Amino acid sequence: MNRPLRIGIIGDFEPSYPSHIATNEALNHAARALSLTLDPSWLPTLSLFDMPPSDDDSETLLKQFDGLWCAPGSPYKSMEGALKAIRFAREHDRPFVGT
Amino acid sequence: MGILDADNEETSPDSSNLVISKLTCSLVGQAQTIKIMPGTLARQVYGEEETVEEFRCNYGLNCEYRDKISIGELKVAGVDTNGEVRMVELSDHRFFIATLFLPQLCSSSDKPHRLIVAYLKAAMATPPFKRF
Repeated sequence: MNRPLRIGIIGDFEPSYPSHIATNEALNHAARALSLTLDPSWLPTLSLFDMPPSDDDSETLLKQFDGLWCAPGSPYKSMEGALKAIRFAREHDRPFVGT
Repeated sequence: MGILDADNEETSPDSSNLVISKLTCSLVGQAQTIKIMPGTLARQVYGEEETVEEFRCNYGLNCEYRDKISIGELKVAGVDTNGEVRMVELSDHRFFIATLFLPQLCSSSDKPHRLIVAYLKAAMATPPFKRF
C-alpha cells in the first residue's frame, strides 16, 4: 500500500498529557515498522458532537478514515461526540482501539 | 470505556453510569500483568498468554456487569491477576478492541507495541474512500 493511512484519533488533544504524546509516537513506531506513511488526525469531541445526524453525506468526515482510535483523556469535552465516532467504527467496519 | 457506555446506552440507559465504577485502588502509574483470553483476537495479536501493560486510570468495569457484557458480541479479552476485566473486544467485528491500560505507554521505536501494529495492519485493509 502506498497511500498514507488515515487514522482518526477521537479525543481532545492536550500537548501537556504524556498519554497523548505517547499515542502519536506509538502510532508512528508501528507505522515505521510496517513501512507505512501515517496521516493521523485528532478529532475534537465537540466537533464530533456537532456532526449532523447519520446519513451518507454527514458521515463523510469519518468515512475517510481507515481506522479510528479513542485516546485517553476521559471525561471528554463531549462524551456524546466520542461515542458517536466509536459507534461509527463499530457499524462501519473500521478497525478501532479504545484506550 | 466509552464503548461499554455506548452499548449500555442502547440497551439499559438507566444503568450506564453504574457499568463503570470507581476502582477500589487507583491504577494511575501502575503496571499490571494481564492474562489474555484464549480464542480472542487479542490472543492472536499478542501471540502470548500474558502481557505487562501500564495504566493511568481510576475507573473500571463494575464487576456486577461482567456477566452481562459477556453476552452477545462483546467479549472479555484480558483480565488482571484478580480476574478484573482489563480488555474487551467485539467478536463480530474484524478489529475492535478496548483496553483499560495504555499500550501506547509501552511502545518504542525499537519495539513497537504488537496491538498497535496489528491495528494498523487491519486499517490497511479498509477499502479506500473515494473523495470527489
